[in-house]
Amino acid sequence: MADRLDYGEGTDAQQFVFLLPEYLKDTSKKMKTGLMFVKLVNPCSGEGALYLFSMCLQQLFEIKLFKEKHHSWFINQSVQSGGLLYFATPIDPLFLLLHYLIKADKEGKFQPLDQVVVDDMFPNCILLLKLPELEKLLQHVTEEKEIDKKKYYKYSREKTLKWLGKKVNQTMAALKTSNINVGARVQSNAFFSSHQISSDKEEDYICYAHGLISDYIPKELNDDLSKYLKLPEPSASLPKPPSKVQIAHWFFLNGLMYQGNILYHFTALTLQKVKLSHEPIEAKEDYTKFNTKDLKTEKKNSKMTTAQKALAKVDKTGMKSIDSFFGTKIF
Amino acid sequence: MESGDEEGVEKRRVHLRPDTLRSATPATLHLLPCDVPVNRPAPVGSFFTPAIRQGPEGLEVSFRGRSLRGEEVEVPPGLAGYVMVMEEKEEVLVRKQGFPQGSDNDEQQQELLEPPEAALERDFDRVIRASGSFSHFTVWGLETAPGPDAKVRAALTWPSLAAAIHAQVPGD
Repeated sequence: MADRLDYGEGTDAQQFVFLLPEYLKDTSKKMKTGLMFVKLVNPCSGEGALYLFSMCLQQLFEIKLFKEKHHSWFINQSVQSGGLLYFATPIDPLFLLLHYLIKADKEGKFQPLDQVVVDDMFPNCILLLKLPELEKLLQHVTEEKEIDKKKYYKYSREKTLKWLGKKVNQTMAALKTSNINVGARVQSNAFFSSHQISSDKEEDYICYAHGLISDYIPKELNDDLSKYLKLPEPSASLPKPPSKVQIAHWFFLNGLMYQGNILYHFTALTLQKVKLSHEPIEAKEDYTKFNTKDLKTEKKNSKMTTAQKALAKVDKTGMKSIDSFFGTKIF
Repeated sequence: MESGDEEGVEKRRVHLRPDTLRSATPATLHLLPCDVPVNRPAPVGSFFTPAIRQGPEGLEVSFRGRSLRGEEVEVPPGLAGYVMVMEEKEEVLVRKQGFPQGSDNDEQQQELLEPPEAALERDFDRVIRASGSFSHFTVWGLETAPGPDAKVRAALTWPSLAAAIHAQVPGD
């Protein structure tokens, strides 16, 4: 129990650095509870992903994680490994509903929504049924029938493609406006500092917008969407060099932002501290990896500080390298 | 929450205390360009912060013999930064049931023997709270300033991109 005293508030404990919509703060005036992290389906992969749900706003937020190698946080008077930055941003819940509608369509009949949105793996899916204006949303992707004042829905591929087409156009329009940084500043600075692009072609924008939307729909539907948008078919054997804007997309989302394994990461890390040593150790002097190899080996051989020795003795069972949580590709 | 049916589902949620989003105290954050493989208190205010200098090309500091260059980065408009911590399981249970649970060690041993999936499910009956808030942080680069090409700057554009993707499509 003495150990517990050493775990001061927010010090030894795993700390998560989050960016949330500012307005969530205001909802806390109205409600003492009702803001929760839940595991729901990732509509693209069908696997589990972490979301934030606000009971008060009846709104769903997706969680994405920014992670760059060799980074750490100083948070007040503490150090936090990993340098992770979590984002919670509003997600169109229709992408998740669509996942269930497509699944239920294998029955080939009209069904009430509470029979469609059923999931043993992710029982929190019932939260989706609480969302406002569901009927209005569903009109985009279903045919509906009303019998005895009860609505029955059936997935419509045609309507869905039309809706997704609008989504792509809307995203494309937003990309072109100056207030979307990815359209201007980030492209020219972060991604293309060495090979500057002079002008983005219309096709590049469509491919980029399509790429962004494709992260939220299953692969079969995505293939249909490519045909619907009349996008050039990617060659199966030898992929043609992607357009520059596509590179931006892959770089941005595939290289920096993660989704699928966050849940595991988020919860598994809380177990780590159980095994963290209470020995007085200092941070491993990892900056040596920026030195040349010779310098590094020399340093190791010549002198190992007491801190490093102490670190070497730390019981690492139960601790995983941060990277191990991201071993599998999300896409 | 509203009905008994949901009790089982409740266990699979990590509750974020909404009131802590307002009560969180301002926190100072530095994003360092190196691995520090521990999470623990550190005398940042004794050795790091006092050494920060305003140089001709921005912030400068020496950290473990290496020169770092830093820049202030603002949290994008419409967003708020928070530092969050999980509440101890016992803390949560005490609040819920009003009596303490058995030995800590037993429970920890159990958790470690369980397969990760089971541990994950157990962990999901938890409470997280905001302990600190921030509207900007300092990004540090090794030898050179992070500059406009810093990956974290690219990541900070994600919310505006997400807003474009998830905006509602007008009805027919």
